[in-house]
Amino acid sequence: MTISDVAKILEGSLVVGDAMASRAVGAVVASDLMSDVLLVDADDILLLTSLASDQAIRTAHIVGAMGVVVHDSKPLPSTMSQVAEQLKIPLVSSPLSKYESCVRLHAALEAEKSA
Amino acid sequence: MAEVHKPVILPPPHASDDEIIARHPPIPRVTTDEDSPLVIMELLQRIKIRDVMRTDVVVLSRRDTMRRAQDLMRRNRISGIPIAEGGRLYGIVSVEDIIQALSGGWIDDVIVKHMSNHLIVLEADMPLAFALKYFENYNYGRFPVLNKEHRLVGLISQRDVTRTLLYELTLEINKLEKKAMQSSQTSGDDSQAAYLLREWSVLHNDLENAGKAANDIKAILREHNVDRRLTRRIAVAAYELEINICIHSHGGNLTFMIADDVATVVAKDTGPGIPDVVWACKDGTSTANDWIRSLGFGAGMGLANSKRVSDRFDIKSVMGKGTTVTCSFNLKPGGE
Repeated sequence: MTISDVAKILEGSLVVGDAMASRAVGAVVASDLMSDVLLVDADDILLLTSLASDQAIRTAHIVGAMGVVVHDSKPLPSTMSQVAEQLKIPLVSSPLSKYESCVRLHAALEAEKSA
Repeated sequence: MAEVHKPVILPPPHASDDEIIARHPPIPRVTTDEDSPLVIMELLQRIKIRDVMRTDVVVLSRRDTMRRAQDLMRRNRISGIPIAEGGRLYGIVSVEDIIQALSGGWIDDVIVKHMSNHLIVLEADMPLAFALKYFENYNYGRFPVLNKEHRLVGLISQRDVTRTLLYELTLEINKLEKKAMQSSQTSGDDSQAAYLLREWSVLHNDLENAGKAANDIKAILREHNVDRRLTRRIAVAAYELEINICIHSHGGNLTFMIADDVATVVAKDTGPGIPDVVWACKDGTSTANDWIRSLGFGAGMGLANSKRVSDRFDIKSVMGKGTTVTCSFNLKPGGE
């Protein structure tokens, strides 16, 4: 599942990033607490958060995340997309709730595994 | 065509601050803008107006005469006198007011009739950056400085700012030179030994920029082809410590070093200090406020997280002085 697939599944839009990028989601972390995100020891995580701030992007960069999704259509500050561009972190904005996003991403990842 | 050399003409003695300033072309601005060197930004935040202002201020009362003000200005070679009684500031008399009084014939009048009472003041606890902004925004050569109780405690002029900044910059440059010399000595003759030293200033409550140092450290580790998981551990420690300086301290520095196959992150702040470091290093202990929590931090996991990812962890804290946290990482498997 690439960042472009994520945007489609979550009915969102790719605000920053290459729609053709091939890096795949390794795991999904849904949290608004950045210290929790920093505890995760996994590769290629997709960060799902309602924290629309530069720090969400910086945290994603620190843990080597493959992308960030801001749910509930939270307004994104302009600096957030600038930091995302600079640190090369794909950024998706989705209108769905955190719960709905988790359910859809889980189903898609399971389908991918069994395929 | 060769550039015409312009001679420097020194001002005559007894020139006022304003006259000296007027004779010189504008110099490049030193501000707190993002493109200013970090060392200057940090200095302008760390140095407070009370550290720069003069406290031996000549003061007159409202009932004194303009002639008395003229006499004091001449004898003390100053260009402005605050008018205050019992610490309360009422106005200021400048050399321009005296010139007008002489030409207008009211030099023997009481000051209260002619002083400027449209006052722009600074507070002693403000960072020096505020004074620079004021000098930039208002056309005054000096500002009265008040304390929290709104009492006059000093006067700050552009000359005071320049003198202090030159002194502090000299200290900073000496420190940097010493560090550079130490680094060249440590690396010695072994051309194979990788050595690197970088330092970042971290300002109190500057969450907009917090994390930049950790992002830079991660980029450096990538350039050095450090293993991905190890890179993540080092970057996590750097990020947590950087955020800690930003939200819990008065500000400080984050230093990153690679020497002898060991990477070290040092976070040093200037206070207030941690009363119980054992308690502070436990998961879930925090003194953060709601604002910090709303920004995704302050869960009390910063120090515990940094300790967890490090191969060696050390913390020293002195109340009123500051805290230093050192996290080290072996870059080679099984390294000690």
